[in-house]
Amino acid sequence: MKPNPFNYVRARSISEAIDLLASHAGEAKIMAGGQSLVPMLNLRIAAPDSIIDVTAIPELQQSGETSDGAYFGACVTHERIQRGETPDPSNGLMPRIAARIAYQAVRNRGTIGGSLALADPAADWLTTTVALDATIEWTGPEGPGSCRAEDFVLAAYTTRLGPADVLTGLRIPNLTQQARWGTYKLTRKTGEYAHAMATVVRSSGRSRAVLGATGGAPIRLPQTEDHLTGLKLWDDGAASRLAATMASDLQGVTLQISDVHAWQLRTCLIRAAQMSFGIEAPDMETI
Amino acid sequence: MPNVTLRVNGDVVSRDIEARMSLADFLREHANCRSVHLGCEHGVCGACTILIDGRLARSCIALAIALEGADVTTLEGLHADATIAQLRESFHECHGLQCGYCTPGMLVTARDIIQREGETTEKRLREALAGNICRCTGYAGIVASIRHAAEALKQD
Ligand SMILES: Cc1cc2nc3c(=O)[nH]c(=O)nc-3n(C[C@H](O)[C@H](O)[C@H](O)COP(=O)(O)OP(=O)(O)OC[C@H]3O[C@@H](n4cnc5c(N)ncnc54)[C@H](O)[C@@H]3O)c2cc1C
Repeated sequence: MKPNPFNYVRARSISEAIDLLASHAGEAKIMAGGQSLVPMLNLRIAAPDSIIDVTAIPELQQSGETSDGAYFGACVTHERIQRGETPDPSNGLMPRIAARIAYQAVRNRGTIGGSLALADPAADWLTTTVALDATIEWTGPEGPGSCRAEDFVLAAYTTRLGPADVLTGLRIPNLTQQARWGTYKLTRKTGEYAHAMATVVRSSGRSRAVLGATGGAPIRLPQTEDHLTGLKLWDDGAASRLAATMASDLQGVTLQISDVHAWQLRTCLIRAAQMSFGIEAPDMETI
Repeated sequence: MPNVTLRVNGDVVSRDIEARMSLADFLREHANCRSVHLGCEHGVCGACTILIDGRLARSCIALAIALEGADVTTLEGLHADATIAQLRESFHECHGLQCGYCTPGMLVTARDIIQREGETTEKRLREALAGNICRCTGYAGIVASIRHAAEALKQD
């Protein structure tokens, strides 16, 4: 046995989980799939007094269609999204992302809410939810709260969630039928956390271009987005024009990004944009 | 100490345990499942791969206490399974193992891949095996074994 000793409690409702968190004054941790928390316990990076399992709370397992998109409870697993058991507001982007997180054994248990709450900068859902303009919802001692995905992560492993808040779920608006997406991540090995990633959603209204695995919060690229909105086809000069808009977008960013990292992110952005034009990049390529 | 009751390979196993006990330690120490091997203990190497309610999982990063009522299957419980029987033969035939440490996790994972995807390409197989580390074979024998098994099972 590797972790420090702790108490284990299975919460039956969101309010019970909040009460337990509040009464432990920062010494309790929520567990969803446990696929990040238990490794941290085993390594003793985390050593809470109590673990509050939220997977038996029915609301957190729900998913469904809404008037303009879909709702995902925090405890929906990557695998349920991968298999298409949940509604898909994203024209196939979400199942594609889910199928490439970690390994099947991890996807079967890891949850979308756990990924967002942890906010590892390289987590796939962090970048994807920004690209899809998701709204993230939580409840805490002060009642319910929500924000857009792009405002949720403050820094690496730091979110808007307070110590006694429970992330309850997220809402994702439908992409239009005409919207086209592309996504690419650079990993040393299939299933490992990425070194860089980018997701692009092109639509005639407003496009999105988001860099992930930045070392901090995902980065939206406003000038690149404008450029992509007007772009009608992928030609010879397209990659270098995209690189130029990205460089200019990054000038407004405070996060330190090394030259090598910028190169990796640029590669991902270009591949993601190409994919949105139907050009598949080599799938197994590694750095 | 809290009590947990779960089903391991069909048998009910009920024990008072520490909350911090992993499912892997529970299976080895309380259910005599020595096919469950511990390598990295943080979900990366795949040696401890088992099934929870029929789904592939890492037993090193699941807490036994959280699995009250679950149905857990290890390689021991699959000894009469047709896919595992074929995989066993194919691993023998195609040199799918050397030291054997990763083998139980490889077999349980390979069964899942065959059941979900049937016969598949070498590229896809290597991707699906990325979560199971082998330090002896270089994977060539393992990939050949799984392809051999998938083909044999299709013919049956
Ligand atoms: C080998 C391996 C490889 C991986 N590779 C990738 C990868 O490539 N990409 C990727 O995105 N992820 C990867 N992961 C992480 C995986 O996706 C996890 O499942 C995920 O990050 C956490 O989800 P979980 O449900 O397991 O959360 P848990 O481990 O249960 O919890 C994680 C953290 O979030 C908190 N938390 C969980 N749920 C809530 C909630 N509802 N409200 C408030 N706080 C909450 C917990 O307190 C904890 O601090 C990998 C994991 C492993 C083991």
